[in-house]
Amino acid sequence: MARAATTSDAFNAIAEPNRRAILTLLRGNERPVGDVALSLGLNQPAASKHLKVLREVGLVYARRAGKQRLYSLDARGLEPVHAWTGVFEEFWTESFDRLDKYVRELRRGEQSDGETG
Amino acid sequence: MERLASTLTDSEREIVVSRLIDGPQELVFEAFTNPAHLSNWYGPNGFTITTHAFELRPGGVWDFIMHGPDGTDYPNWIVFLEIAPPERIAYRHSETPDDPEPFTSTVTIAARGDRTEVTLRSVFETREQRDKVVQCGAVEGGEQTLGRLAEFAAVRSGDATGQEQA
Repeated sequence: MARAATTSDAFNAIAEPNRRAILTLLRGNERPVGDVALSLGLNQPAASKHLKVLREVGLVYARRAGKQRLYSLDARGLEPVHAWTGVFEEFWTESFDRLDKYVRELRRGEQSDGETG
Repeated sequence: MERLASTLTDSEREIVVSRLIDGPQELVFEAFTNPAHLSNWYGPNGFTITTHAFELRPGGVWDFIMHGPDGTDYPNWIVFLEIAPPERIAYRHSETPDDPEPFTSTVTIAARGDRTEVTLRSVFETREQRDKVVQCGAVEGGEQTLGRLAEFAAVRSGDATGQEQA
């Protein structure tokens, strides 16, 4: 399958460090572009450009509030990211769950060995 | 179930994942370095392992098959690079000895009081290699690539995806 234009999917969008930083920033609360620029040390046009990319791939939601636009995180855009990370995450989440349980069993075994021995 | 801590690191060739395990460092190291132990926990629920060779030394090989719950077999070929008891293991992971795209993982095992923090860092040859894996995972639902992706940890992109919309 041909690769889509560089910024047209969530994977590409979050490959850029500033855009990840914007998503982190927008976690808790919505913010205007000026806030985003200031927090990340970007100029406003650069921040606007990143926000535009994030909106296009559905990672960020914008709403008008008076004269300004407020940007917030839009989790729906992350679904394709979750879809593939799920494989890795599931592997290690389940492996570590099993390891944790197994190590506890080993410790119980050692304790009972100690008691009987 | 405890949540994995995972991040997409600044290096775009890496994936890092970590987890606290309820047990002492030496025991966790043992669980990572003894094939009899590994078969009891390595891999997702429903997977089993058949080990054909296991030699714990730099240059030594762990040759094993992962059997998926649907009957699919996934070959694995791990060459140990460093064994530093009880705190570190490094290895190259591939499907077969001549796999052109192996990746390197380092497992760091650190005492944290009564518990042990395990951190796994996987480094790809190139960002393209990782991205390819990323796309395969997305397109194929990960099923076919699960074996070779086994060691790749999660990218919830830490900062980007680590939360749900309230």
